[in-house]
Amino acid sequence: MNRKYELVYIVSPDATDDQVSELHTQVDGIVQRMGGQLEKTENWGRRRLAYEIGRHKEGTYVLELIHGTGELMKEIDRRLKVFELVIRHLVVRIDEDQDVVERMRSRRTEESRRRRVARGLPPDRQPGEGQRGEPDDDRDDRFDGAEDMR
Amino acid sequence: MNGRKTFGGGRGRAAQGAQGKDGQQRRPMFRRRKVCKFCADKIDDINYKDTRLLMPFVPERAKILPRRISGTCALHQRKLRTAIQRARQLALIPYTAE
Repeated sequence: MNRKYELVYIVSPDATDDQVSELHTQVDGIVQRMGGQLEKTENWGRRRLAYEIGRHKEGTYVLELIHGTGELMKEIDRRLKVFELVIRHLVVRIDEDQDVVERMRSRRTEESRRRRVARGLPPDRQPGEGQRGEPDDDRDDRFDGAEDMR
Repeated sequence: MNGRKTFGGGRGRAAQGAQGKDGQQRRPMFRRRKVCKFCADKIDDINYKDTRLLMPFVPERAKILPRRISGTCALHQRKLRTAIQRARQLALIPYTAE
């Protein structure tokens, strides 16, 4: 069962760039060996941590997008716990959430298209449309104080 | 049959009770109806990496802003909660503030 995972790990600020890329190759090696795919890597660079993690105030964040099995991620998780240089890591499964977001987005566009057609408009927004002056906040009925009317 | 109309159920009744007890001047209080930010802005994806989006929901004490104050709908508050918890694990957002 192939799934999509997101892995973020924080490397100690004492690590050199070589050590960071070395870690990346290690992760890549595990992924390759266990029949996974590395889709994307992002290095966020050095960032301040919101709180100290074992006397560290900064860390290098690395994000990896991985296709693979749960077994693979378990292995990566286990290995990352061992590395001293990795001060924190997080594995999140993202395929399901992405599906949900995708579905909501498509449902919304579909709905708005349907409504536009019902109003006798072309389904997609035309250029220059909906820019008549400033949006009037007070007229927006979402903000009407309905609960205190008496 | 006092000709009163209360919209918005429980909240309207609660406000009425508080005013009756104090016996103070009855003045229509116009409170803006709170709207879920994520519904209004059509944000589907509440991601833990997007600290700029999450920060307004973790005020000074770094506690998660409750729904009753932010007006976020239940669905989005739930998603927000997981996103904030993940961001905290990665030290993107503090757990506490001294």
